[in-house]
Amino acid sequence: MSTPAISIQNLTKVYPIPFKREKVTAVQDLSLTVEAGQVYGLLGPNGSGKSTTMKIVLGLVTPTSGRTEIFGRDSNTVESREDVGFLPENPYFYKYLTGAETLDFYGKLCGLSRAKIRDRSKELLKLVGLENAADRRLGGYSKGMLQRIGLAQAMIQEPRLLVLDEPTAGVDPAGSREIRDLILDFKQRGITVLLCSHLLEQVQEICDRVGILDHGVLIREGVLGDLISIENQTEIILENAPPELLAQIREMIGKSSGRLVAEHRPQKTLERYFLDVTGPKQS
Amino acid sequence: MTAAAPIATKHKIFSPARVTAIASNTLLELVRLKVFYFLLLFALLIIGSSFFTSKFTFQEQFQVLKDVSLGAMSIFTWLLGVLATAMLLPKDIEDRTLYTILAKPVPRFEYLLGKFLGVLLLLFVAISLMTGVFLVILYARQQDALANAARLVPAQALQEQLADIRAATFNKNLLPGIVIIYLKSALCAALTLLLSTFASSSIFTIIMSVIVYLIGHIQAIAREAYLASQTTTALTKAFLAIVALLIPDLNSLTLVDDIVVGNAISTVLFVKTASLGLTYIGIYFLVGYFVFSAKEL
Repeated sequence: MSTPAISIQNLTKVYPIPFKREKVTAVQDLSLTVEAGQVYGLLGPNGSGKSTTMKIVLGLVTPTSGRTEIFGRDSNTVESREDVGFLPENPYFYKYLTGAETLDFYGKLCGLSRAKIRDRSKELLKLVGLENAADRRLGGYSKGMLQRIGLAQAMIQEPRLLVLDEPTAGVDPAGSREIRDLILDFKQRGITVLLCSHLLEQVQEICDRVGILDHGVLIREGVLGDLISIENQTEIILENAPPELLAQIREMIGKSSGRLVAEHRPQKTLERYFLDVTGPKQS
Repeated sequence: MTAAAPIATKHKIFSPARVTAIASNTLLELVRLKVFYFLLLFALLIIGSSFFTSKFTFQEQFQVLKDVSLGAMSIFTWLLGVLATAMLLPKDIEDRTLYTILAKPVPRFEYLLGKFLGVLLLLFVAISLMTGVFLVILYARQQDALANAARLVPAQALQEQLADIRAATFNKNLLPGIVIIYLKSALCAALTLLLSTFASSSIFTIIMSVIVYLIGHIQAIAREAYLASQTTTALTKAFLAIVALLIPDLNSLTLVDDIVVGNAISTVLFVKTASLGLTYIGIYFLVGYFVFSAKEL
């Protein structure tokens, strides 16, 4: 069996409150595993411990107890970050740098050679659709462009794990879809993604597995399909079904032990409708 | 298809390349904030001071020019060091840029060192430019004084007068004096960096740094006054000793007065003063690192 991308064992994080004897438990006895190649959604309301968990995985915060590993390496060690790319929520990169300079800077931090940085920057700017904005300063980038350059910097050293905190926060629907497509593209390339998001619809679209945190405790965890499917119901969607066929089906249901719960026309999502009406017009 | 193995080179415990990348980026950040505009103010100040002293003797003129220029260099480099350093860490934390940097294989020591070296480079460039402006104006005033002497002083006294003018303008004390001004501004930057590792905002850091700067300048006088008093308790003495240990006597970290009045600066005095500055820079940086390394981000 391959080494998990992330392994969290009995993780607890307690924050003392300054000038008080009280303490706040942000994460309590959390254990979970993210297998390599998965897109894992870490969900939970505000203050549930998602960000703290993510920061501990990235070595930005020290756990009170427990252990976290990235591809088998203790995530407290600096070396473990060779395998990780991180995009924080609402990032503001250095505004005075251009897109290309930003990737150059992060490439140098990862110890890449000049030639490798040049090649990777070109490749990533193309991948995230910022080729034409490579020489523009980030101060002039839109929110969606900042998120995309953020994804590019996270990917600069070809990490095997991407940690994304609300990657589509504040981005318009078209930009949000582009980022979603990029995450799916990373998944196709075999990159593991740990995703924190409040956009449950998007999480549902792209995640293989989810964990739900509440008050620092993992209350549900598993394969997405298993968690949300309704065991005793079946959905059949028909196209161009004549009224007679529908009548026959209803009659058959009436004669069986089953019960017709609902019958309606399927609807496209509001996002799909929005993209259809605002997207590029076909001639 | 599986993910490729990471392409980064084997991780080094300390990488000068990473430190250089952070330092040069910090310098670029500060330069693009157009911090060098203050040089115009500096040039105007010393050119202006030259006009007001035209009625003085040449010795007085050069004395005032050096006093104003070196004093302005001290204040400008201190201000630049404090203001530039105070915004580095809090801004990176607030913008979450720090997260993206430390999520790469970058040890916190390297990050802090890179930031500090960036400020030191900025101060070096600033003091070099100010020194350049100062020397050009000093040279222009010297040429002016030499030309006046050649026109007005009788032939038998001319050579002596010209030698006096040359001695009053350029002497070997200038460089050590400027080096100490640089070290003092670097010390204030290191102190500001230390304060910013536990401060929550740039404003708080700046205010604290200014307070410590003032304490550093008055502590020697205050200490002497308290210790001379009959009522000084052991507790007061201990407190004064702790303050003296934590904050250097910044009045002793300057050679400007000696340069202005023309006193010779001995090598021993220079080395002693420079060592004091370097020691405190090292201590402040290391304490700053220990605070930063334990900081929950």
